[in-house]
Amino acid sequence: MKINYIGEHLFPGQLGHFLIILAFIASIVATISYFIATVNKVHENRQSWRKLGRSSFIVQFGATAGILFLLCWILFHHYFEYQYVWEYTSKDLPKEFLFSSIWNGQEGSFLLWSIWDCILGTVLMYTSGRQDKKLAGNGVGWEAPVMTIMSFAQFCLASMLLGIYIFGYKVGSSPFILFREANPTMPVFQNANYLSFITDGRGLNPLLQNYWMVIHPPILFCGFASTIIPFSYAVSGLWTKRYKEWLQPALPWALFSGAVLGTGVVMGGAWAYETLSFGGFWAWDPVEIGAMVPWLLMIGGIHTLMAFKHTGHSLRSTFLFFITSFILVLYATFLTRSGILGDTSVHAFTNLGLSGQLLVFLFVFLIVAFALFIWNYKKIPEVKKEEGMDTREFWMFIGALILFLAGVYALFGASIPVWNKLFHLNMAPPVDQKFHYNKIEIFVGIALALGTAMIQYLKFKKTDAKMFWKKIWKPILVTLIIGTAIAVFGNINYWDHGLGFLIAIYILVYASVFAVVANIMYMFTELKGKMKNAGASIAHFGFGLMLLGIVISTSKQTAISHDMLGLIGNNYFPEGSAEAKHPEENVFLPRNQPMAMGKYTVTYLGDSTAAHDPKTYYKVNYVEKNKEGKVVAHFNMFPDAFVNPQGEEGLIANPDSKHYWNHDVFTYVTSVFDPSKMKDTAQYKSYDLQAGDTIFFADGYMRLNKIITHPVSPNYQPRPGDLAVGAQLEVHNNLGHVFDAMPIYYLRDSTYQNTVADTVRNLALFIRFDKILPEQKKIQLQVKQSGVVNDYIVMKAYVFPFVNLLWLGTIIMVIGFAISIRKRIFQIRKLLKQPSTSNHEEKVPV
Amino acid sequence: MKKSNIVILVVIAVSIAVIVGMVGDFSTYETFATAGKRPGKEYHVIGQLDKTQPMVYDPAKNANYFSFYVKDKKGNIRQVVYHGTEPTDFAKSEQIVLTGSMGSNQVFQCSQILMKCPSKYVPNQTQMNKEIESKM
Repeated sequence: MKINYIGEHLFPGQLGHFLIILAFIASIVATISYFIATVNKVHENRQSWRKLGRSSFIVQFGATAGILFLLCWILFHHYFEYQYVWEYTSKDLPKEFLFSSIWNGQEGSFLLWSIWDCILGTVLMYTSGRQDKKLAGNGVGWEAPVMTIMSFAQFCLASMLLGIYIFGYKVGSSPFILFREANPTMPVFQNANYLSFITDGRGLNPLLQNYWMVIHPPILFCGFASTIIPFSYAVSGLWTKRYKEWLQPALPWALFSGAVLGTGVVMGGAWAYETLSFGGFWAWDPVEIGAMVPWLLMIGGIHTLMAFKHTGHSLRSTFLFFITSFILVLYATFLTRSGILGDTSVHAFTNLGLSGQLLVFLFVFLIVAFALFIWNYKKIPEVKKEEGMDTREFWMFIGALILFLAGVYALFGASIPVWNKLFHLNMAPPVDQKFHYNKIEIFVGIALALGTAMIQYLKFKKTDAKMFWKKIWKPILVTLIIGTAIAVFGNINYWDHGLGFLIAIYILVYASVFAVVANIMYMFTELKGKMKNAGASIAHFGFGLMLLGIVISTSKQTAISHDMLGLIGNNYFPEGSAEAKHPEENVFLPRNQPMAMGKYTVTYLGDSTAAHDPKTYYKVNYVEKNKEGKVVAHFNMFPDAFVNPQGEEGLIANPDSKHYWNHDVFTYVTSVFDPSKMKDTAQYKSYDLQAGDTIFFADGYMRLNKIITHPVSPNYQPRPGDLAVGAQLEVHNNLGHVFDAMPIYYLRDSTYQNTVADTVRNLALFIRFDKILPEQKKIQLQVKQSGVVNDYIVMKAYVFPFVNLLWLGTIIMVIGFAISIRKRIFQIRKLLKQPSTSNHEEKVPV
Repeated sequence: MKKSNIVILVVIAVSIAVIVGMVGDFSTYETFATAGKRPGKEYHVIGQLDKTQPMVYDPAKNANYFSFYVKDKKGNIRQVVYHGTEPTDFAKSEQIVLTGSMGSNQVFQCSQILMKCPSKYVPNQTQMNKEIESKM
């Protein structure tokens, strides 16, 4: 039986499906056209195929943009007949989070990726087309081969959105699937007007209801998407056997990718720091590693590219770096999206059954790229003469190699579930995950810091040793002074992993100070302050600051909340026992009861909620006194939490932090008072009273001021026909505090008697308006005061020193990238302006 | 010998050393019985929450003491003490991965809990029905 459903908005979905198929077909046409535009032997034919390729790419751009627009449309109109809308949004969700719900689901994040590829691809089409016109003459140029690969990637992404079955295999998953199509057996869909039952959606995952989640995914996906461009250039170089010429146009894109991907990764850290309550910005989670490793390789590739550009060395490794960077983006996508990380990562993603499809694409790119690389390996030009130990190119290569190895190490650990699956093993991640990575990566940090400090003082091809030492001794001296100052006054006492690790920390402090100092001094002494050439120095300076921020804030992060109650009580365990290993950092904080934490006296002052905000805010007061007892600082923090969100039991807490220039104080709640779990033995007592009467209770009294009609209370929603009265009460406690309360009694439809109780939480007082006694002109109130402490939070507090250095360093590094990109673009423009005496006559590939 | 060869040799040597050290770091998924053989050594144990036994968290007494019972893959049930607060939606978890070591009296001392709640991300139909009904 076919049911005619009522009230559905099917048009956006149908149009969406159509646009997905259009994008899919247009990307196939673009791929084929650009492919022929690369391999055809006749220049004129190539030109016309290229035109077709361009227009098809633009068509799929338009279609993809249309898909995005329609997805926004159904989300913003709350069309809950669509699974995606129901699954990820609700009516009370603020606008900006409706926007971020686009990438909450996998379909949306693939769409986001695809739209970035469209934008980047169009820019690439324009710029490389212009370069080809000037430089390629009758040759193939770069637009056609590079766009062949870009279009193929778009084909892959479009297929992820298809949502159709081919030979029983699910290909892609569409965001426009209807709720009833996805769950055809649900009984609710037997009703033609089922939509009148579905009045609201499930709502957005509370962890994602954060402003970082509005900005971080688009940036990160832009970074992911951009890695395909250096990849495409490298593969095009192999494909068309022009092994060197691709480097010049690829360089600004590689720099762009490095800048954006780096920003995205650090923003993810910032989100974790501000939203997730694990107390830090980095946890070596497989998902974090998956995003970081492609970045490391991209940076490695940029450096080997520079080495090649000046000396002819390291060309093969440049190919490898750019190819692997993109392949690892695909691999990271597979890791996070296939559900394979289930046991090892806090990031949980739905498995849409697309992991097979993802793997196919991963292997297509992997096999084609590496086959081309191996095939051409011998033909890739290489300088016979070895680079000397005293040259910049040698150390650039070593630096890139270290980046590569650091990435391999991290990725090997993150891939444990994959090894388990492949080799039927039973491996679990290291028990101390952070230290497992930190103990190796700290030496990577040291090596990289030393490298970034010294690399620019070395010269390409040959460095005059005398000149080198003459220039470098000043930064070394300054570093020793500053580093020793930090060592002496910085008070870094991270003994958790023994003396060896502490020494490594001190070396890293010195090394990163060296990176900062040497690069600043280089800008002034060597570049004479010419900023447009200082991109590398500025980026290195920023990187040094990042390292310094990471090492100081991580090693000096201290919990100031220590559970004294636990130590005093019977929870003392001998040192070294299994029970003693665990830091007791949760502190029980009853309301209005000050507690010493570090140099602060901390008091929980109560919670509050606001209309249109699903979160509960907990007001926590910090007071810092000096030795004389004078208050030197006091502030309130408002850590918040979703209490029992979306039918879950418990808290999803967001920390609050107080930022100082040199440290952050960081607080979050880990547990709160839950009235529903309280076992209350107190009984209600009845009182008959009229206006002006007083009732006494344990630590205070309350007076019935008057009885009013049409009472207004947040707990009571009047309906027409209600007959409602409220008892206006003034409650005093023994300390002289005054509170208001108004329990309500009402008759609905002149038959149902109802009462709305009121509470004075500070006094644990519950008041019910039980009945009206008309003969006596009195009312009956029932009052109870419960004996248990019934308002408290359990919280943790940390001090993070110098975490700002990490954020500042990132910004400076990105500025350095921007300056370098500008410089490289100007170089290309200059080349374009030259009269076309193209020095490389292009060959048509076979 | 060429310098590049030396570099490659050094890289290989370091890599082997690091990977050997790394694999030594890797833990294994154990049961309570095998974890009990070496008390104090940290392991991962996969199991299910035993919902018939009490869960205790009383912050007024100790804010870092959450006690519950877990049935491991072999079917053994042990008391587990987690030195922290009760995780969100703990009672609904279908599978939990505990990181910790066996302490005295066969009580598993746990420093990290990872939960699997597929229902949270892959809504099953009964749950969706319930949610819709609750909003009706």
